[in-house]
Amino acid sequence: MKVVLFGVIILFVVIIGKVFYIQVIDYDKLNKFASNLWSRNLPVKADRGIIYDRDGGILADNITTTSLVVIPNQIKDKDEVAKKLSSILHVSYKEIYRHITKRTSIERVHPEGRRLSYEVADKIRNLKLDGVYLVKESQRYYPFDTYMSHTLGYVGIDNQGLSGLELMYDKYLTGKDGAIKYYSDAKGNKLDLSEIYEKPQNGMNLTLTINKDIQASVERELDNAVTKYKPDMAIALVMDPNSGEILAMSSRPNFSSNNYQKYTTEEINRNLPIWATYEPGSTFKIITLAAALEEGKIDLEKDTYNDSGSIKVENANLHCWKHGGHGHETFLEVVENSCNPGFVVLGQKLGKAKLFDYIKKFGFGSKTGVDLNGESSGILFNLSKVGPVELATTAFGQGVSVTPIQQVTAVSAAINGGILYKPYIVKSINEPETNTVIKENKKTVVRKVISEETSKKVRYALESVVSNGTGRTAYIDGYRVGGKTGTAQKVKDGHYLDNNYILSFVGFLPADDPKVVVYFAIDNPKGVQQFGGVIAGPPAKAILTDSIKALNIAKPSGGMEKEYQYTDKKYKNVPDVVGLDKSEAVKKLKNFKVDVEGSGNSVAYQSPEAGSRIYEGETVRIFTN
Amino acid sequence: MRKMNITLVIAVTVLSLFGLLMVYSSSYVWAEYKFDDAFKYVKNQGMFLILGLILMFAVSKVHFEKYYKYSNKIFLVCFILLVLVLFVGTERNGSKSWFGIGSFGIQPSEFMKLAMIIFTSKYLYNNRKDINNIKKGVIPILGLTLVVFALIMLQPDFGTGLILVMGIIGLLFVGGVDLKFFLKIGLVGVGGIVALIAAAPYRLKRILSFLNPWEDPLGSGFQIIQSLYAIGPGGLFGFGLGGSRQKHFYLPEPQTDFIFSIISEEFGFVGILIVASLFITIIALGIKIALKCENLFGKYLAFGIIFELGFQALLNLMVVVGLIPVTGVTLPFLSYGGSSLMITLMSIGIILNISRHQK
Repeated sequence: MKVVLFGVIILFVVIIGKVFYIQVIDYDKLNKFASNLWSRNLPVKADRGIIYDRDGGILADNITTTSLVVIPNQIKDKDEVAKKLSSILHVSYKEIYRHITKRTSIERVHPEGRRLSYEVADKIRNLKLDGVYLVKESQRYYPFDTYMSHTLGYVGIDNQGLSGLELMYDKYLTGKDGAIKYYSDAKGNKLDLSEIYEKPQNGMNLTLTINKDIQASVERELDNAVTKYKPDMAIALVMDPNSGEILAMSSRPNFSSNNYQKYTTEEINRNLPIWATYEPGSTFKIITLAAALEEGKIDLEKDTYNDSGSIKVENANLHCWKHGGHGHETFLEVVENSCNPGFVVLGQKLGKAKLFDYIKKFGFGSKTGVDLNGESSGILFNLSKVGPVELATTAFGQGVSVTPIQQVTAVSAAINGGILYKPYIVKSINEPETNTVIKENKKTVVRKVISEETSKKVRYALESVVSNGTGRTAYIDGYRVGGKTGTAQKVKDGHYLDNNYILSFVGFLPADDPKVVVYFAIDNPKGVQQFGGVIAGPPAKAILTDSIKALNIAKPSGGMEKEYQYTDKKYKNVPDVVGLDKSEAVKKLKNFKVDVEGSGNSVAYQSPEAGSRIYEGETVRIFTN
Repeated sequence: MRKMNITLVIAVTVLSLFGLLMVYSSSYVWAEYKFDDAFKYVKNQGMFLILGLILMFAVSKVHFEKYYKYSNKIFLVCFILLVLVLFVGTERNGSKSWFGIGSFGIQPSEFMKLAMIIFTSKYLYNNRKDINNIKKGVIPILGLTLVVFALIMLQPDFGTGLILVMGIIGLLFVGGVDLKFFLKIGLVGVGGIVALIAAAPYRLKRILSFLNPWEDPLGSGFQIIQSLYAIGPGGLFGFGLGGSRQKHFYLPEPQTDFIFSIISEEFGFVGILIVASLFITIIALGIKIALKCENLFGKYLAFGIIFELGFQALLNLMVVVGLIPVTGVTLPFLSYGGSSLMITLMSIGIILNISRHQK
């Protein structure tokens, strides 16, 4: 009988051992499973990472909204709750009733219960209904609305990135949602046990290379261009030539990132500065020039060319834009005048292999690799199909198809000492709480294209384009500006369109040590003379001027004086008239309009102050006492 | 006459009162939901507990030899009831094993368990000389047991039937039936099981599903998973009285077969140790009383009762912790169930009376 008792005790020990195993060895696993079984989650949305400009200004922010969530099992009087909610939300009773009777643990009232206004949320809160919850949701908000909308992109209703940087960096920007966990019974009723708050993990922040002031300038100039010319498109791109950092970029048509639904997919999807491809026209001559100089084919000042207005290549007659030609000119003047036959000669001196080699080395025909979605690579002639005509037209920018960003990176390389950088827009990705850098983009050298010496010559030639040549509209007094105009006829289905041009200007300053490159293009402006310098020069100049302040660029020494034409207004120094008699002061200010204020006899104060340079005939105000 | 065994009285009373508390704690959620009365089950159980304790003391005054005298009548009444229940019984949870009287129910199979022990004890006593003659001594009583088992299986109530058969086999063993015989029966049984499995291999999977309940979490594994979800998170000290989560509709009918899971969840490993030691105490005392009994009929009676009780407790616990497949056996003293509690307490009353007639 002791055996029986012993057996019983053994079995009890086995049972207790098993309980011990379940409660100790299997505890973690079972507790986790059981916890998931008992707890219900009310989601708490994480904030999406913020997108900053280079100085910490916010470009894409979050605002907190409230959403309605119901737990059908906890709603006892479904009829009454449906009635009350439908009257507050202005949604049909049937629709609400469908939500609150759904066989699910948690039902989001979508979309009627999303992004509720404060008043509506407050009304629902005051009802104090069982099983009806208001949860915090984070909604994307773009404080500048339409600014660089293509580049920033936009997000969908669930805060998922759908285009632009929002899509490209979605993985980083998206946070991890948290939850309020509460315990419930198997029928979904809330149990009287403490709730657990799981903090949401906010997304990573992006810092861009964008300079907010230059961006503002770009947007303003694009708007002005649209108002003035009603173009098909307008594109602006600003880059730091010494690193490839994009300082500003935008285009028209644009859209509102906050209300993207109102626009067509074409308007939304095409980030023109990296997507649009077209014949560059004369801005491309910078590449031909740089190649010819690097290869030592010409001396800008000593070698000359006689432009008769056209040049015959094989059976084609290629015309200069100026009827009758520019006559006898040095190659520096060829550049200043943007003389097509002169560039044909440069192309012929280089030969097709060399010219195309440089074109490719400057990055054309392939993507720049900028960290944005939707970049195009452009189209170059297949070298085997390049005959003398193709070589000739390519030399002055026809017959190739390039993107704005390719042009800006290539020009940057031509003027920065010869280094082609990979452009980029994201400076760093930071962890939101500690601001630890997760990923940082630094300047990336793609290759050295030309020598520093050649680059210097290119800068000099392009400075004289602005001082003396076709780029005069971009001249900024006291700052050395280099640049090149472009006027490209648009091609459709293999034919050039009549009176349909893309007018562009690429400029930089200071010409001796460039700090900023600006590209501005207007596609098919209406009701104006179609020349790049006239149309695209002034907005580019405005952006360059704003860049001086934004980047704190010091006034350079030296530089070329502008060659004045009779239509140009001249700058004059304002003389010092403070302390002088009124009549004497007026006499001294003979080149300006004088506005006298006060009734005294001697000048106490003048505006603008002595030493300022303003246009001839502008107003100087003097205050007398 | 000696005084009855007071330790046994205390152990049984403590266990039953704790059971009453746990019936309340584990059932109030369901009771509220089903009957709008959180106390529904505990009131029932409480009444049967009081009645059971009174009966226990009453029965402890009745000389156990009286059962010898009335054993045939008792058996006959229970047998008739067992047949009747198949025709006029109420069906609960899929088995027709109840006579409903108002909201109370009486399970004739529970009475039959005790009646069968009494009858077998008498049979063993009367046939003690023939007991090693299988044909003459063992087959008749074993045959009768199987008939009763078959009747219970018609309800069907496998758990109760199994307990009854195991109790009788235990008793036969005590009565001196050759151990070899049981081994033979065991071999036949194993052979039968092997044949059944060979005929349809899915049966093995079904039988072994308790080893990995997660293979069929919503089917055969459901109850055991829910039971483990109660026991596991309980940890060393449990969530405290009333703190169970699993009783909130996760574990079906937690006050019956799986009450031990809720005890583990609310009182943890420590609670389990206390409950287990109370059971061991009761079984050990029962065996001691049986051993000390000079009257052979009384000895058999005490052994039979304590075997059934012990088997039932072990079977329930092994099911609840996932050591054997789910069989549908309640835990004596603790699980909800009026007639079961009453019969168990009466059986203890018989043992108490036997303890008074020791040397």
